[in-house]
Amino acid sequence: MKIFPDFIAGSKRQILIADDEYINRELLENILSDEYDVLKAEDGEMAYEMIKQNRKTLSLILLDLNMPRMRGLDILAQMNEDPYLKGIPVIVLTSDQDSEVASLKRGAYDFIPKPYPQPDVIKARISRSIELAENRQIISATERDELTGLYNIEYFYRYCNQFDRFYPDTEMDALCLDVNHFHVLNERFGIEKGDEILKKIAERLEAVFADQASFICRKAADTFLVYCLHQDDYTKTAEMISSVGDELQTVIKIRVGVYSNCDKKLDLHRRFDRAKIASDKIRNNYTVFVNEFDEALIDAELFSGQLVDEFPKALAEKHFKVFFQPKFDIRGDKPALASAEALVRWFHPTLGMISPGAFIPLFEEDGLIATLDEYVWREAAKQVADWKSRLGVSVPVSVNLSRADLYDPNLVNAMKRIVDENGLGTEDMYLEITESAYVSDSNQIVNQVKELREHGFFVEMDDFGSGYSSLNMITELPLDALKLDMKFIRTAFDKQNDTRMISIVIDIADYLGVPAIAEGVETEEQYLELKKLGCSIIQGYYFSKPVPAEDFEKFLLEKQASKM
Amino acid sequence: MLTVEALRAFGADTEDGLNRCMGNEGFYLKLVGRVLEDKNFEVLAESIARQDLDSAFDAAHSLKGVLGNLALTPIFQPVCNITEFLRAKADMDYAPLLREITEMRDELVRML
Repeated sequence: MKIFPDFIAGSKRQILIADDEYINRELLENILSDEYDVLKAEDGEMAYEMIKQNRKTLSLILLDLNMPRMRGLDILAQMNEDPYLKGIPVIVLTSDQDSEVASLKRGAYDFIPKPYPQPDVIKARISRSIELAENRQIISATERDELTGLYNIEYFYRYCNQFDRFYPDTEMDALCLDVNHFHVLNERFGIEKGDEILKKIAERLEAVFADQASFICRKAADTFLVYCLHQDDYTKTAEMISSVGDELQTVIKIRVGVYSNCDKKLDLHRRFDRAKIASDKIRNNYTVFVNEFDEALIDAELFSGQLVDEFPKALAEKHFKVFFQPKFDIRGDKPALASAEALVRWFHPTLGMISPGAFIPLFEEDGLIATLDEYVWREAAKQVADWKSRLGVSVPVSVNLSRADLYDPNLVNAMKRIVDENGLGTEDMYLEITESAYVSDSNQIVNQVKELREHGFFVEMDDFGSGYSSLNMITELPLDALKLDMKFIRTAFDKQNDTRMISIVIDIADYLGVPAIAEGVETEEQYLELKKLGCSIIQGYYFSKPVPAEDFEKFLLEKQASKM
Repeated sequence: MLTVEALRAFGADTEDGLNRCMGNEGFYLKLVGRVLEDKNFEVLAESIARQDLDSAFDAAHSLKGVLGNLALTPIFQPVCNITEFLRAKADMDYAPLLREITEMRDELVRML
């Protein structure tokens, strides 16, 4: 970068000549005064005072080493200690070769020997030093993150790469540090306080890694990267950084993802991706704050990536199949088929059947879930219509609505259209909404559910009892059925053999005047107990696992036969 | 009156000295006149007289820089020599070197 022309038209750069010899000062002034504004100092103390006074305007100092009252090398040392003076370039004037090395070591940019070389040489050395210093200032301004003063990501990677080039065999760790739920801190305390927290973290990071070769940057928002010498454990590090919260009277938890002794054949981005994967893995873990990357994580991550990538193709080629699991009404003498739940399965051409547990949370995160849900709704509706026309019998089929669907203002219209297009009524499609949707934005969910019910849809609360249940929710949210969470039932029977909680939930359903549906019912014992407790409807392997549409037909035909 | 020619005859490398003065003869001659008033000549002599070699070195060292810049070779040379002996704190008789410096300086003074 050539930035030599004057910043301000008409103004010259300022140079201080510090030499106790009148003749030397005069000679230099005579050489330089055409191009520079020249200040002169006659002894060391005077020079140092003038440097301090003119620190903002000085472009360069020509410093004689051998001056009374304060030696040149002492001035250099003092300047090095002072962050405001450190950046001003110094050229040392000396007739001793020994001093040349000493002054360069103390931060001098260059030296001019005595007797002085040709004026052109002096001028060239001066202008080169000024240019270097100004470039360096610009670089140091651009290489830093404005908020924290740490490196920004581009320069961080450059410095790390440079370090690797010179120390290829040094064991290094790549760390990714995130503030756990930083957005919550920002929400609670405001952006300003959030920024203050980030600055404090940056300071603490610099302090923690001060005594070793390390590079630190703020990657974005609340993510910091550190490239440092390998160490076995970062628990203390995480604690020391988290303790900035004490100063700010708030609780801050830093989670540290560590890619330990990283493989230098991987490029830096990938090394830090690995640290990030390790950090993200513990995002919702409130007890573990340091996590080391291992290969299994990358496998899982790669697998997830593959699933997301292949989603459009799988959808187009109908690799997603809708299965149906019957729900039986057990209130009568004999269980009677009441409805079915539509459940999606992915038949991957090479990977085989992929569990919904593997792809649904992933698609929820990536926003693909809405597309998949709609696909399932359409397939289910088409199937019900087919059964009706072909067999003359059907049952309502419930489909799942993800949290994302409930935020879609077009949800009711889309649902209605699907039902209409297949010649069905709203009584043919039940909707299961997940309990956890309620906590996100209650008003919107309540309104959406109300509207769906106004259009005649039957809305079941899924996963009830899985952790977010609130009595407030069930009084606020109009519902047509409560589905007890599968795990809830399993625990009640398996571990404690204590069904009192189930009994309470069934009482709640009774109070609301809606049926209680138990899913995950696997044994006759569970079935009988639930029946005794007053549960209305049961779904689970005890009756049938989810089956393809053609296999489900036998339940419909049995129902038809029983009516005759 | 001091002239560049006289300086050249004295043995100064006037081309070199003038170069440092950007070719300005008047300026060069003014500085040469000024160097003869340099108190470091006295400091050097006095320091040697009282065996203060550090102080003597500082004075010689400063003179060396100035004389070198003005290319006053006949004085510069002995000042260089004495500077190096003083730097090494050589235990020797400095009087002959000092005398040579003084003589050359006096010769220059006579040219003013």
